[in-house]
Amino acid sequence: MGPVIAPTEGMGPSWCVLIAALLCAFTTACNRLDDQLQHHREKFESLAASAGFIGNAWLSGSTSGTYTATALSQTFLLVENERATLASTPDALIDRRGAELSDSAEALSRVIAALLDDVRGADAAAVRQRLATIPFAPPTYYGRNR
Amino acid sequence: MGAIVDLVLGVVTSIGGFVEVGSISTAAQAGSEFGYQLIWAIAIATAMLAMLTEMSGRLAAVSRRTVAAAVRERFGIHFQLVPLTAELLIDTLLITAEIGGAAIAIKLLTDVGFEWWLLPLALLIWMLLWLSGFAVIEYGLGLLGLITLAFVISAWQLHPDVTDIGRSFLPTTPNHHYTRYAFLAVSIVGATISPYLLNFFSSGAIEEKLTESKLWVNTATAYLGMCFGGVVSMGVLVTSAMVLQPRHILVDSYEQAALMFVPVFGRYAIPLFAGALGIGCFGAAVELTVNTGYTFSQVFNWTWGANKPRRDCARFVTAFTLVLLMALAVALIGFDPLRLTMLSVALTVVIMPLVVLPFLVLMNDRKYVKEHTSGVIANGVLAMLTIVGGILAVVVIPLEMFGG
Repeated sequence: MGPVIAPTEGMGPSWCVLIAALLCAFTTACNRLDDQLQHHREKFESLAASAGFIGNAWLSGSTSGTYTATALSQTFLLVENERATLASTPDALIDRRGAELSDSAEALSRVIAALLDDVRGADAAAVRQRLATIPFAPPTYYGRNR
Repeated sequence: MGAIVDLVLGVVTSIGGFVEVGSISTAAQAGSEFGYQLIWAIAIATAMLAMLTEMSGRLAAVSRRTVAAAVRERFGIHFQLVPLTAELLIDTLLITAEIGGAAIAIKLLTDVGFEWWLLPLALLIWMLLWLSGFAVIEYGLGLLGLITLAFVISAWQLHPDVTDIGRSFLPTTPNHHYTRYAFLAVSIVGATISPYLLNFFSSGAIEEKLTESKLWVNTATAYLGMCFGGVVSMGVLVTSAMVLQPRHILVDSYEQAALMFVPVFGRYAIPLFAGALGIGCFGAAVELTVNTGYTFSQVFNWTWGANKPRRDCARFVTAFTLVLLMALAVALIGFDPLRLTMLSVALTVVIMPLVVLPFLVLMNDRKYVKEHTSGVIANGVLAMLTIVGGILAVVVIPLEMFGG
């Protein structure tokens, strides 16, 4: 929220309109940043959940190593794209939540790369361990309409 | 007896040919993001498609003209250049997206980059069109497409709440992401009602020599085939809603979408998904490609026909070959298959009024359809939905693409 400025006696209607417009713009900018961060967070959470699902499916023998490697590579690329998009917005990185998101995303990227390596080496124990370290807790705000 | 066989074959192949790259990606995204909430969009789009295909078959059977030829004759070439150009652009993008979808399906099974499969797939499409007749294109690929029934089986096996699904047939507003919701609704409509289908069905009716006496077969095929096809599309949405949404997985790639089969089909999941995606996309790419040949030939009055010897219809072959090459060129430049698909299907809704409205005029012209003109309700509903969809698409596409 922006600072609240009390109108003074000398202020004409045009000043009030200008201040209101500035306040509106400031609030909108804040909301836009919130929306952007929320959007990035959703994407990272989705990609983290995908990596978890892909890894577990491989462990249970439901998917082949070929598909698992393809899917993890694609997930890795999507995480990197999302990270690049996040990094291209300085405002988002200056924000504390944005910086934390960026750090978690980097960790996610590393875990997926390691998972990919473990799957290629057919190392089930390492995959199991790695899955437990995937960042991004399940979201709480996803009250999606069903 | 022959009519019954035609009917069964028509319905079965309509089901098999219904789902392709657009419907799989839009329904999978809709299910993963909004649960069952967008089922109404599939239902409305399916009803519109059934009405339109029935009309295009009726026009062909009564007037012995395809939609493209009749529009050319009724409105003149100057008028037709606009929808023709728009349709050509969209068809090229859609062919690229379909080839991309088929290439991704092979990638899922081989781990070889999808870019490597684009050229062989385009060559295979061209060879199929060069060597085979209409029956192979329509029935052969349609029958193979029955593999897409796996989406219905998976939805059934997941035991969805039927009351919830039933409630979703009525449009409701979402409690988040309004622009995204509207964009997905528009995309579902665009993925279901591709304008090329109008001319493809009427050309098919001419190829198969559909007559006025068999109009009931056309009507039954259109309504039964499309309604069952719509159920397959709903199967994608329901499976995605039940498997991906609770796990908070949003569909940003086909690799993620493929996961929806894992809980039901286990180790057969990925091959089944790849098969459904690959065959659906390949079939649609073949139909789209041959339809561009049909459209050009019918507009410019060249000899055409998938059943004719190729040397007798050289310009028809040249037309579809050139469009296929254009689509391949777009594909080889480099693209994200899922994004291109979503963009193409949404743009389809923008151009829909250009294609559907003149067609509705034709369907009320007794010179073409004699006493078989369309009713007031069908005309009104189709015209209204097409215009509303077009306006909505013009609004939501920029918002979605450039951040609403």
